[in-house]
Amino acid sequence: MTLNEQQFIALLPILITGATTVVVMLAIAFARNHWWNATLTVAGLNLALASIILAARVAPQTVTPLLVIDGYSCFYMALILVITLACATLAHAYMEDFAGNREEIYLLLTLAASGAMVLVSSRHMASLFIGLELLSVPIYGMVAYTFRNHRSLEGGIKYMVLSAAASAFLLFGMALLYAHSGTLSFKGLSGQFHMAGLHSPLLVVGALMILIGLGFKLSFAPFHMWTPDVYEGAPAPVGAFLATASKTAVLAVLVRFLLEASAENELAMREAMGVIAFLSILVGNFLALTQTNIKRLLGYSSIAHLGYVLVAVVAANHLESEAVAMYLVTYIATTLGAFGVVALMSDAGRLHDADAIFNYRGLFWRRPYLTAVLTVMMLSLAGIPLTAGFIGKFYVIAAGVDAKLWWLLGALVVGSGVGLYYYLRVVVALYLPEPGMVQHDARLDWGQRAGGIMVLALAAVVLIVGIFPQPIIDLIRDAGITALHLS
Amino acid sequence: MNLLFLTFLFPLVGFLILAFGRGRISENTAAVVGVGSLGLSFLSAIWVGSQFLLHPPAGGAYSQVLWTWMSVDSFHAPFALRLDGLSLTMMGVITGVGFFIHLFASWYMRGEEGYERFFSYMNLFVASMLFLVLADNLLFLYFGWEGVGLCSYLLIGFYYKDPANGYAARKSFVITRVGDTFMAIGLFLLFRELGTLNIQEILTLAPQHWQVGNATCELAAILLLLGAVGKSAQLPLQTWLPDAMAGPTPVSALIHAATMVTAGVYLIARTHTIFQLAPIALELVGVVGAVTLLIACFSALVQTDIKRILAYSTMSQIGYMFLALGVGAWSAAIFHLMMHAFFKALLFLAAGGVINACHHEQDIFKMGGLRKQLPVAYASFWIGGAALAALPLISAGFYSKDEILWEALASHHMWLLAAGVLGAFLTPIYTFRLIFVAFHGEAKLQAHRGQGVSYWLPLVVLMVLSTFIGALIHPPLANVLPASPGEAGGHGKETLALISGSLSIIGILIAAGLFLGERKLVTAIANTGPARLLRRWWFYAWGFDWLYRWLFEKPFLALVAINRRDLVDFTAGIIPAVARWSHDILSATENGRVRWYAASIAAGAIAVMAAMMLA
Repeated sequence: MTLNEQQFIALLPILITGATTVVVMLAIAFARNHWWNATLTVAGLNLALASIILAARVAPQTVTPLLVIDGYSCFYMALILVITLACATLAHAYMEDFAGNREEIYLLLTLAASGAMVLVSSRHMASLFIGLELLSVPIYGMVAYTFRNHRSLEGGIKYMVLSAAASAFLLFGMALLYAHSGTLSFKGLSGQFHMAGLHSPLLVVGALMILIGLGFKLSFAPFHMWTPDVYEGAPAPVGAFLATASKTAVLAVLVRFLLEASAENELAMREAMGVIAFLSILVGNFLALTQTNIKRLLGYSSIAHLGYVLVAVVAANHLESEAVAMYLVTYIATTLGAFGVVALMSDAGRLHDADAIFNYRGLFWRRPYLTAVLTVMMLSLAGIPLTAGFIGKFYVIAAGVDAKLWWLLGALVVGSGVGLYYYLRVVVALYLPEPGMVQHDARLDWGQRAGGIMVLALAAVVLIVGIFPQPIIDLIRDAGITALHLS
Repeated sequence: MNLLFLTFLFPLVGFLILAFGRGRISENTAAVVGVGSLGLSFLSAIWVGSQFLLHPPAGGAYSQVLWTWMSVDSFHAPFALRLDGLSLTMMGVITGVGFFIHLFASWYMRGEEGYERFFSYMNLFVASMLFLVLADNLLFLYFGWEGVGLCSYLLIGFYYKDPANGYAARKSFVITRVGDTFMAIGLFLLFRELGTLNIQEILTLAPQHWQVGNATCELAAILLLLGAVGKSAQLPLQTWLPDAMAGPTPVSALIHAATMVTAGVYLIARTHTIFQLAPIALELVGVVGAVTLLIACFSALVQTDIKRILAYSTMSQIGYMFLALGVGAWSAAIFHLMMHAFFKALLFLAAGGVINACHHEQDIFKMGGLRKQLPVAYASFWIGGAALAALPLISAGFYSKDEILWEALASHHMWLLAAGVLGAFLTPIYTFRLIFVAFHGEAKLQAHRGQGVSYWLPLVVLMVLSTFIGALIHPPLANVLPASPGEAGGHGKETLALISGSLSIIGILIAAGLFLGERKLVTAIANTGPARLLRRWWFYAWGFDWLYRWLFEKPFLALVAINRRDLVDFTAGIIPAVARWSHDILSATENGRVRWYAASIAAGAIAVMAAMMLA
């Protein structure tokens, strides 16, 4: 196999991210310096981000039967790189006082990012599996990074064991699909779904098992049980990565699989996804109801939010991929901001993160701007108009109404109502007068650090997208995301 | 004309500066920001207006799309301003009169607590009001509509330390809310029927969609009318306006005389096509106006508080505007709206000067003989009062009111005409009763005279505008509003002008006879039994407050007493109980054991697959 110049350019983002991992590893071996290693990582990621512009110019490019770099993958690769950058800046603030080795987290982060990028550009079951494992394995390490905290270690191991179980489903599903059709590429499977329809149990079970395997990573109910424990155990910047990059990449590949392999045509798939979305929305929201740990709360809320996106996927109409992309953008900005505040409030030098809502009580009187950021994020998660969350939800509802999914929309409305309660509970705590002793606080100069600036910028993004969403909508349309429907 | 957005951007920025700078900026800075922002807004309005008049845009309207909020699938929400003759007129009144009132307020409010708070609310009010008249979409109009309602509430309760003022603010808020709710329902109805809230689209779609007299159209028009009567203090939602006088006097001048209370008139004129298709609703508009104008006239005759007299006169003048709308004289209504803004702002500002000079005394019977001590206010009252009483030829009010009466005659609405003529006879009596009692006779208190350019300049400018000079301004409405029945002229116009003019002069003479000098006659009449009863009845504005208390408040409170255990709350309580219960059950599954988690994944997978295979 030869790689021509254009294909090479198309692959640049993934290659640069991979190279960054190697360079950072060598740099760590050469000299342990937290600031220096973090800067190298950020520089490499920025370079990769810039190379997406080049890659987008030559797109679409098929590189081997495994990968395709088109507008869709460019858009999601950019999202993943932005998330990774944000998490790197948060990690830098967070790891400052960590007693163990601080630098390896960047290694794991870039490694996971390259896995996610492979995932969003894969068009074959083999690359899907490679990408998924490349994404997941570093995450086990990152979740357990602060291993002296037993929750962190416990979370890492739980995630690893359960992931393995889910991967088994995924692999078995692939085997069934292969047994039936003799191909593993999405395009090849597409013909099978067109022909076989309802009648082939092998095909249906195979596709459902793929859905289950990916659904675990997306923490869809009823495969959601691990979510709160892992989110609680993971250090805050890792939690942010887990909640955003991992979900984005897996959802992106799921949507591509559904569209390119025409698995959407399979009625059983759509019905199964409908049930899963319905359960996820209700289970996620009800579980979060009286939660007092903000990381667990964000975990439950991510179950519900992924359920909301799935409504757009079930709708399977012309709005689908646009709605998914828009929802993910708003969800990423909001979740990163919320986790970012938690990360800034905590540091790895302490045994626990500042994750009890109690820690945030009366924060407004001590760190007003940080509180404003968290307030905006909570309102956006709740989907209040003039924040980004509203636009995302609007899209999902528009897609759902178009497809007349009334019972799913009913669940969405109930879920949003319940959500309002627990998101606002956090906001209320932020403004309650201080009960005396201060336990956790962000550093005084948080706003001047990279992580702080990033969080403030995210708050601005959430508000601007809420008030003036058209540029983002245009960007998504220009990226050619909707082109998947035609192929 | 592309500077149109500046007109409401300046006050909005002024509001933000004042709101965030509260407690940190001095009175002088607050005055500069508060008045300056309005001045800039006025200048941009003049610029835009002159451009509009010199180079009329195609179709007589200019629209400025500021941005598109979102455009998803077939759903578009553009955010656009629309300038045509009607909104230009309103914009001119709001920024021009608004600027002079702000200037006056910078003198009037000097030394009051919350000086910058006052100006921040005033600026926000002007911004919302401009938003209301410039919106090209009923939804955005409703935004502005609620914005001015909020500012009105905040400013009526400005002296919040007195609970009575807070009560007055709440009363006005709640009563206008009743109207607003009907209006919102009207908007929903229009959207359901026509599929748009864009005003121009509604105006073109409505005639294609509905025949004249269509029941749905009548309903929509009546709902809009209910919104309008709430805002404009017309029957049956008029009771809040006199109480609204609890706010500072410049507020009464700006919000409760010149601009906000005329929003209802604007709304009906703006959606005139719907009302033309709904003859019953249109007739109702005229009847509401006629009845309100008479009720308010009689109440104004017996009030003793200088601001309440003016409040009732406002109510009655807006009644005239509604009457004009009801007979299809759209331009006459807007013309009267403009004239009324000039002379009523003048009267209120002058009243503010008097009140300030008299150490916050508002009872005219405790003033007396102010004519020598406050010459500027006296002159303002004469000129403003003459305009209000429609003194022939020299006053602005004469031209606009005469127009309305003539249109009523030309469209053969004899009852409305009769009400209008009776009102034209009563108006000079109560107006000059105020002037003669407060400014003539012997001095009862020592007034200190107002000083400074910000005191007399607004008064002088508004005085000029309240004479026939103001009536020379003709709003460019021909393109926007349809022709009225009496536009072509006809015989009887001069006779009518003669009659109404002489009625006005007779009214003034009667007032002079009754209230100049010893007032023996009027006291004798007032003290007879039936007159006392009537006086009390009128003084309490025909007992509407009492009526509403028995009709709405008492039954509601009785229901509350019966439902002490709160059945609704109990049923509503089921929802959180169910939510909690589901939460408890689901939480039990989160036990932290990996084996249980793994089992749940397997079980979930089997369940999903079984369901799909069996289905």
